[in-house]
Amino acid sequence: MRAILALGTALALSSALAQQIQGNPNLRGEITVWSWDIAAKALEANVPGFNKLFPNVKVTVVDLGNQATYDRGLAGCAAGGGDLPDVYSVENNEAEVFWTRFPNCFTDLNTLQPAASTLRNLFPAFKWTELTMGNRVYAIPWDSGPVVMFYRRDIYSQAGVNPNTIRTWDDFIAAGRKIAAATNNRVKVGVIANGQDDEWFRMLANQNGCFYFNNEGTAVTVNQPGCVTALETVKRLIDAGIVLQGGWNEQIQAFKAGTVATSMFGAWYEGTIRSNAPEQSGKWGVYPMPASRPGGVRAANLGGSALAIPASSRNKEAAWAFVRYALATTEGQITMLKQYGLVPSLLAATRDPYVQQPQPYWGNQRIWQVILGTLGSVPAARGTQFFQEARAIMVKTQADYVAGRFPSAKAALDAAAQQISQATGLPVAR
Amino acid sequence: MKPGATPYLFLLPYLAVFALFWAWPILDSLLLSFQNTRVYPPVWDLGVNWGRILRDSAFWDALRNTLLILVIQVPLMLTLATALAVALNSHLLKARGFFRFAFFAPVVVGAVAYSAVFRLLFNQNGAVNAALGLDFNWIFDPVGAMVVIIVALTWRWTGYNAIIILAGLQNIPKELYEAAEMDGASPWQQFWYVTLPSLRPVLLFCLVLSIIGTLQLFTEPWLITNGGPGTATTTLGVYLYRQGFQNINFGYASTIAYVITLLALVFSLIQLRLFGRES
Repeated sequence: MRAILALGTALALSSALAQQIQGNPNLRGEITVWSWDIAAKALEANVPGFNKLFPNVKVTVVDLGNQATYDRGLAGCAAGGGDLPDVYSVENNEAEVFWTRFPNCFTDLNTLQPAASTLRNLFPAFKWTELTMGNRVYAIPWDSGPVVMFYRRDIYSQAGVNPNTIRTWDDFIAAGRKIAAATNNRVKVGVIANGQDDEWFRMLANQNGCFYFNNEGTAVTVNQPGCVTALETVKRLIDAGIVLQGGWNEQIQAFKAGTVATSMFGAWYEGTIRSNAPEQSGKWGVYPMPASRPGGVRAANLGGSALAIPASSRNKEAAWAFVRYALATTEGQITMLKQYGLVPSLLAATRDPYVQQPQPYWGNQRIWQVILGTLGSVPAARGTQFFQEARAIMVKTQADYVAGRFPSAKAALDAAAQQISQATGLPVAR
Repeated sequence: MKPGATPYLFLLPYLAVFALFWAWPILDSLLLSFQNTRVYPPVWDLGVNWGRILRDSAFWDALRNTLLILVIQVPLMLTLATALAVALNSHLLKARGFFRFAFFAPVVVGAVAYSAVFRLLFNQNGAVNAALGLDFNWIFDPVGAMVVIIVALTWRWTGYNAIIILAGLQNIPKELYEAAEMDGASPWQQFWYVTLPSLRPVLLFCLVLSIIGTLQLFTEPWLITNGGPGTATTTLGVYLYRQGFQNINFGYASTIAYVITLLALVFSLIQLRLFGRES
């Protein structure tokens, strides 16, 4: 207890930290954590700090990769809750399928001490929507994914492009043409996944206030005007010949090789760029995403995750202490932000002095101010339990539309809406 | 105890395993196919899955991809396997044992390992592009990805079929060839009029196995292309897995499984009708 108190007084939020971590420092045991990529590394980075408080808990973080974490989690739940870790990472968008189909697979965190409801006000309300069912709290919010444009300062200025003047997607396409011209077509302005993912479509649709489903999760809305505009923009970008097509790995290869000048992603991509291309330090910057029309919304969210505790865990107390340390303390959240760029959803952490600091890797830009500044404008969107099904249909629809197999974006999305409706049993909204 | 019961007692261990791990899942999946499993707990809804499958364009894509592989890959592989078997059977060939093992070896290699190797070979910076002097993105092109799957399947299963056909070749009585030679038949005529007709039952066996294998195809498209790009290499097996284990819709997955079973049944009956009359 002395260690906790010592640490608590050292921090501005002393009483809050001590309260949140109120666990027995003599807790013993081993816990396993499943996660992916940067997120796994960020949790790993929190183990030393956690072990200062709980020296007798051994934490093993396993990086399974994003899709495998989801697949194995579902398979484990479907098999009645076997072969699951003590702490499980889940993306907010994909989370609801677990609680709706397998209500007993994960621990209701309100049944643990201290109850999860005591953490409620520490996070923004929207982060809880996909993590709770009635009075049950199944997971604690972790990070969020406010979308920004990560760009190469040197390439932009060589091509005479000023990122402050890129306000709409038309401006972005013009910038892409300039960059292509200035580099003899060697450098593209961005990387779009086509045929493997629909993440650009989702980001642009979210920006326009549209998503696969309405926010109640009761109807399919993928053919509404905001989504139509988003899909049209994706095709315009590809047709202009100014973007590369590729998935997660191709994008990393491209920015390392310097053949792409911009990456658009949730802000958690910060750590991916910084840790994969340390040699490009000082050459990068960020600016808000362009809008679909002048004066339009320049914010969206992609990703953002949470941590849950499977009901089969034999060490729930230790798992719960780790989850609370990593997610519900400023220390835990700022560690992950500093080292791997995970954007905290803990409100206290977003006000931490660290987010005001200029970042050397990013040309001394105060990037976290820019990024967190967009959070308030992000339109709400809900993954629902059918997220993966809708996504699979949309990946195909986008690829077909880009290949010219539909007369218009509206026709493509009408077809997608029909398919999603069939797959989910939800009606298409009028 | 009646003496007639003894054989059943001996069969009991097998029957118990069969009932638990075969009969019950088969029956249960039939029942599941008539339930809406997208809600918790699942509810009876006779038409929800069987009605959907008729209108589900993703299912028809998967069926088309599977049939495409069937129509191109199976004849290609069996032709190669027959040629290979004849070569391996030839008295002119030295170190026959070694070659027989070498061509059979791909089946022994773990599917995950060989799929990873194929991904690397057909990578944009991979050995295949280097050898052909191309810069083609095989895995992310719809046609390219299908070519990779077909090449991979052919690499893995040709030797296996060749060994089965080889066994068939060795069962053909030597007298037939001697008689053919006496009648002045050329080697090509011998192959066409003696070897092939005698191989008919073996080839039919290989064909049935290959068609059933292709209808259930999962490993290669899952590990090499993940069913993509888009749904370009999504087979019925991959689609079934996605519905069952990614979307947790076991009712619909069971419906797809029954369609695959019905297809396999229909194909097998057609083959027996067309080719299998005398055997």
